[in-house]
Amino acid sequence: MLKITKTGNHGILLPDLGIGLDYSGPDAHFNFVSHGHADHIPWKVSGKVYATEPTKKFMRLRGKSYPVESLDFGIPIQTTDATVTLYPAGHILGSAMVFVESEEGNLLYTGDYRTPPSPATEGFELPVKPVDYFITEATFSLPVYKWAPHNQLQDQVTGFVKEALEADATPVFLAYNLGKAQELLYLMKDYDHPKQIHGAGYKLCQVYEDSGMSLGDYETYDRESCEGKILICPSSALSNGFASNVRKKKIAYCSGWAAMEARRSQLTVDKLIPLSDHLDFFELIRLCENLQPRKVLITHTPNPNVVQHYLTQRNIDAISLEAYAEAS
Amino acid sequence: MPLSHTLSKPNTFRKLAETAQAIAETRGSNAKIARCSQYFSTLENDRDLDLAACFLGEGAFSDVSGKRASVGSRTTSTLAADFCEIDYDLVFKPCKTATGSASETIEKLFTNIQEAKDKWSGRGLSLEEVKNIYDRLYEVSSRNDKQQILQESWEQMTPLEVKYFIRIMGRGSLRIGFESKSITSALAKAFDHPVKDIRHVHMLTGSIGKTAVMAKNNQLHEADFQLFQPVAFMLASPVESRSVEDFEAYVAEEKFDGMRCQLHAKGDEVKIFSRDLNDISGSFPEIIKEFAAKELPGTVLDGEICVYKEDTIQPFQLLQQRMGVKKPSKKIQKEYPVALISFDVLYHNEETLFAKPLTERRKLLNELSGEYQLPVTIQKAITAEEDVDVLFKQALEHGNEGLMLKHKHSAYEYGQRKKSWLKVKQPGGSLDTIMMYAHAGSGKRGGTYSDFTLGVSVREDERYEEEFIPIGKAYGGYTDDELKKLNARIKEITAEKYGPTLGLYPDIVIELEFDDIQVNKRTKANYTLRFPRFKAIRWDLSPDDVDTLKDVERLFEEKLNQERLGQAQNPSFEVK
Repeated sequence: MLKITKTGNHGILLPDLGIGLDYSGPDAHFNFVSHGHADHIPWKVSGKVYATEPTKKFMRLRGKSYPVESLDFGIPIQTTDATVTLYPAGHILGSAMVFVESEEGNLLYTGDYRTPPSPATEGFELPVKPVDYFITEATFSLPVYKWAPHNQLQDQVTGFVKEALEADATPVFLAYNLGKAQELLYLMKDYDHPKQIHGAGYKLCQVYEDSGMSLGDYETYDRESCEGKILICPSSALSNGFASNVRKKKIAYCSGWAAMEARRSQLTVDKLIPLSDHLDFFELIRLCENLQPRKVLITHTPNPNVVQHYLTQRNIDAISLEAYAEAS
Repeated sequence: MPLSHTLSKPNTFRKLAETAQAIAETRGSNAKIARCSQYFSTLENDRDLDLAACFLGEGAFSDVSGKRASVGSRTTSTLAADFCEIDYDLVFKPCKTATGSASETIEKLFTNIQEAKDKWSGRGLSLEEVKNIYDRLYEVSSRNDKQQILQESWEQMTPLEVKYFIRIMGRGSLRIGFESKSITSALAKAFDHPVKDIRHVHMLTGSIGKTAVMAKNNQLHEADFQLFQPVAFMLASPVESRSVEDFEAYVAEEKFDGMRCQLHAKGDEVKIFSRDLNDISGSFPEIIKEFAAKELPGTVLDGEICVYKEDTIQPFQLLQQRMGVKKPSKKIQKEYPVALISFDVLYHNEETLFAKPLTERRKLLNELSGEYQLPVTIQKAITAEEDVDVLFKQALEHGNEGLMLKHKHSAYEYGQRKKSWLKVKQPGGSLDTIMMYAHAGSGKRGGTYSDFTLGVSVREDERYEEEFIPIGKAYGGYTDDELKKLNARIKEITAEKYGPTLGLYPDIVIELEFDDIQVNKRTKANYTLRFPRFKAIRWDLSPDDVDTLKDVERLFEEKLNQERLGQAQNPSFEVK
């Protein structure tokens, strides 16, 4: 049995292999970072740190100064006791799943992932070799979450812009600065209307452009000239004065959480677009059925029991990562 | 937009559900009103309009019908789980916790889960057919029978229809940001009448459906007041929310801590109605008897029932012994004697007085008081805010709840009318409490922990073995930012999880404000708080600072034994 530990939000450690996955702490000689969102980037490390080139750049932009070696997808590297390969996770640019092959068995750690993948990423790909331990995030792990086909969501995005502009209002998208904001730009690449994106998100766009992922034409947010343009900002910015000089706005909230009606009044928005960076419940179950891992270890959810229940019904051994870590 | 959108006829339930959803997705009350009004104007048939207005404005049954579908949340939820062929405890419950709404959960699961989709016949139902379903639900009483009816109905509805079917059935809010006030505006717009007229007819008929039909057929003027048919009550708004400038335009009355009621009398026939328009005559036989003896000409009075004993108005706690008692014994009547103190007259001698200004109604009320020996509130003139302060203190000295400010020229209208009636109240007290449990919110606050069980300390109390026991549940009084901060902290101090509820380690201290303390033998503490709400989150205090059950008992005793100035010393009501 492969030993896995997980303490609080310090990430995952494979102590026998000296490997850390999104791990902050002194006990890993080899650290792998799945992607550039703040809750996955180690804040203290010892040993070597590996990440894809875009992830490395996002880490730099987020102020992490420790050395990071960049690693390409599909290129295995040897650690003391294992072989490690990164696979594209389809979540944001540079997001990777970490595949660890060792004598104790093969482990795939998904980080955050989405399949079918976001079009503004390197895609989604699984290792061909069998997976023994499948550590999967399960952010949207309830059957109330089922995403509409991506082309329908894209229609909702452009339809919202069209409707707002026709009503003489400034369309504003509330979206995470890293990942969702760029996917929106990508989806509206061919929509011929000036776009402005929140300053913090604008900086991150450069990493996309440098990686050859063109996001079309856009500029950084400018209070004086933003009226009438398509605007993108995180939801927190709106309450801190973002475009507060623009009187007539229509606001769309783009997130998997937009699937919940309560968000409408919590955020006072005109439109909820459930465009998620994560896979939905049904996609997760189907993926496990296809992958047939020896054991599914569920994390990033308050409801591991629901996924476990569905997988057990399908004769797939599953347990919450926390429970497994405690026992191992 | 579903494909069916263009297919559904105006009188189908699907069209109503789609309209409700469209209203939910529209921001701004004028735009919502316009959307609803447009829908109303497409309904050609009177009966359909009656039902549509009732469903959107009141629920499955008209408020005055006294009928309820009486289907509990567990009945719908367990049936929905069976409908999806999923486990209720393992799957349905966590979904409900996440969305914060059973009806939304059901809509989503019916949309997503194949087993549910397979049961849908696609037939669709008319408004009339849905009304029949609600009637049948009212007629049967066992859970089994109710579930049988629900199952058959759901097979013929889209998930969106099922969601609104459940919300309408529950008589709660449709959660589309559109309450009954907006319905009257939508009717006014659809059929081109002044809102005032719609509201008046709604007050008289007590039915938004009937009002809609009369508006459509230009029959509003035919709506007539009938003695012994209760009219909907006029309500006051809290004074904090409205800044008063022209104090001299108002008069002040003390606000009794009693039970609001409407008395209809003619000769020896007398009836009393509660605020929800139920006939409560049986509960207060001595008032009925007293008024029957007065032999009033046809008259309707608005007033407050209080326990009145030893020349003094008694605290609300004593009136509680009479509320809900359908046939009070002689002993109870003797122990808790009640009186009706009137403050308004709405009808007298074949004439309705709703439209008359308050001063005129008051003049008549005073005359009646003199002629028939009716106790009436004392009105006091005010000219400035200082007068309000003085009178407010005086009201509290009398043991009364606070003050009412009434605009001298105001007509008697249904519901809360801005600036017509204002209430000045003081909080009953506050306690430093410990947060014991956090509950996942529902509706607007779905997805966060927004309801909290608060407790007092019994560490040093030999009657209890635990450290803290619950004293009340609060779901308001905090800001969105504070709620966020609380939710972050709660994660760190969670000891146990029971479905949507988290058991917490003692850590967060809440200063809890409440209107009153009541005895409640069914609780561990034996007391409950009335209208508990957050006053402050005391990050500066620790569990050791939490108030004890003994403190609660002391506060209760103080309130009960508070010196109340009797009528003789400083009257708050009089007989002219």
